[in-house]
Amino acid sequence: MNRFLSKDFLSGLMFIGFGLIALYFGQKLALGTTVRMGPGYVPRMLSFTLCGLGLLVCIIALVSGSDPVEKPKWKPITLVTIGIVCFGLLFERAGLIPALVVLVMIASLAGEEFKLIEVIGNIIALSVLCTLVFKVGLSMNIYVLRGVW
Amino acid sequence: MELLDNLSLGFSVAFSFQNLTYALLGCLLGTLIGVLPGIGPVATIAMLLPITFHLPPTASLIMLAGIYYGAAYGGSTTSILVNLPGEASSVVTCLDGYQMARNGRAGAALSISAVGSFFAGTVGTIIIVLFAEPLTRMAQKFGPADYCSLMALGLVAAVILASGSVTKAIAMVFLGLLFGLVGTDVNTGAQRFTFDIPELSDGIDFAPIAMGLFGIAEIVVNLEKHLTRSGGTIKVGSLWPTMDEVRRAIPAALRGTFLGAALGVLPGGGPTLGAFSAYTLEKRISKNPGQFGKGAVEGVAAPEAANNAAAQTSFIPMLTLGIPSNAVMALMVGAMIIQGIQPGPEVMTKKPELFWGMIASMWIGNAMLVIINLPMIGIWVKLLTVPYRFLAPAILLFCCIGAYSLQNSTFHVMQVAVFGVLGYIFVRLGCEGAPFLLGLVLGPQMEEYFRRAMLLSRGDPMVFLQRPISLGLLITTALLLILMAIPSFKKARKEAFVEEEG
Repeated sequence: MNRFLSKDFLSGLMFIGFGLIALYFGQKLALGTTVRMGPGYVPRMLSFTLCGLGLLVCIIALVSGSDPVEKPKWKPITLVTIGIVCFGLLFERAGLIPALVVLVMIASLAGEEFKLIEVIGNIIALSVLCTLVFKVGLSMNIYVLRGVW
Repeated sequence: MELLDNLSLGFSVAFSFQNLTYALLGCLLGTLIGVLPGIGPVATIAMLLPITFHLPPTASLIMLAGIYYGAAYGGSTTSILVNLPGEASSVVTCLDGYQMARNGRAGAALSISAVGSFFAGTVGTIIIVLFAEPLTRMAQKFGPADYCSLMALGLVAAVILASGSVTKAIAMVFLGLLFGLVGTDVNTGAQRFTFDIPELSDGIDFAPIAMGLFGIAEIVVNLEKHLTRSGGTIKVGSLWPTMDEVRRAIPAALRGTFLGAALGVLPGGGPTLGAFSAYTLEKRISKNPGQFGKGAVEGVAAPEAANNAAAQTSFIPMLTLGIPSNAVMALMVGAMIIQGIQPGPEVMTKKPELFWGMIASMWIGNAMLVIINLPMIGIWVKLLTVPYRFLAPAILLFCCIGAYSLQNSTFHVMQVAVFGVLGYIFVRLGCEGAPFLLGLVLGPQMEEYFRRAMLLSRGDPMVFLQRPISLGLLITTALLLILMAIPSFKKARKEAFVEEEG
């Protein structure tokens, strides 16, 4: 197993990455003085510390080793993310029910078992529940089905 | 007696019809998520934060608190009946609780755990009442430098409890602090890391972050594991424990209560730590430790009492100092900020009805939970038979709608998606989300106190060492860090977490 593909080494890289991103986008913020700190002072301080810690995590990982990363399964994380994004895109444009149908469909596909009848049943139950709770109960300002209700 | 006046004020607030209803609602929801694996109190409270907009502050905090300690009760039910901890704090209850159930003593285990929890909850509430005033009075003497050091201590303490590498957990805290900086700078009005997105100028909302990190990532991991469940086959049997069981349970529950209460107050402490320590203690002092893991009554009574006592006392740092000690408390701080209340020592003096009302409601909530859990046990067992493939899409849906209703904007839904992916990466890399969330919530306040302290001292960082309170806190922080570097402590910490995973 490649020692660079360990959990700790990759986390270290992630911390360094976030630190560098923050340094890059924070470079225009004024530093100020230690008495009157500008908006950039604390971010700069934190970014440097984060980079340093990231480096430390990497070094420790290389010296004393750490667990290898498990191979991720792409299906659940991809489908769940797509589902949420679709929900976000549809919710205002089309309404609660279309967004709900798409989300539940995609999310159900992410699991191992997919039985269409069950999923349809789940969709109907959740539609009724959400409409009752959010539209009727909490009278939230949302479309159930845009153009209709 | 001022204390009695305060308590009677608290009970008059808590006994209003509205607050009783929300306490009951919170307890029911808490029990529900405690029973259902795959969703914890952090994600649930994050989902419900938007709804609390519409409620008065006291009612919303009462409900959220109910979810938190309700989950500690509900989690034990599934641990005992089907060997599945609904909650991290109930993991140890599985060891002996499930064995008791297999020996036909499920009912007794359930009632010992419920009554023990109620007793522990009561003691926890009394401890809050006793400690709240002196601690608040002390906190009022705090200057900006002291607050800054106190937060540093809180964050370091949170690190000890994260499993895995300490360096990684500290880095997660810093990452959280960095994310907390996003938005408009309070002192100068400059936009920081907002990328010209108007929604970000008020800062990153932490509710979608918590949903992503603790809700979405958890669902994805469960889907990968192909979570299957079997349940509803175990007979509950008589709820009455035998005389022998009672005789063994009472001292164990007492020890668990006090150990849990003490550990709950510590920054970074909470129900999970309390339960583990209590179980270890019982095993160590028992005359026949061989019984543990085979259905020892003490192994159910002590951790169950401890996790509930700790759930109560972990409110103390949050209520008196405004410092959250774990991820749930971080969200409670958020809920208070949403309501326009700055958590800290002023809450008790300026909003006594909220402060004492909440404390009184905790005791009432604990009493409600005994009723919810014992006579209604059949309903919760039925719920266990709902397969995860129905639950996962439903939880996702509630997260999305909850995120949207924060500000009626789909921007927050997208934020959930982004932080879901980030949370998944964290899980895969073995990075803990809790230190990140604490850093995120404390970040903006800590920066403000830091800048104010430096302004007051004319740029001299020695101010943190010159003020006695600040110095004391920093010394404690340093001691904790040194402690974590000592090999024998490192080993003990590692062993504690191995037991947790096993």
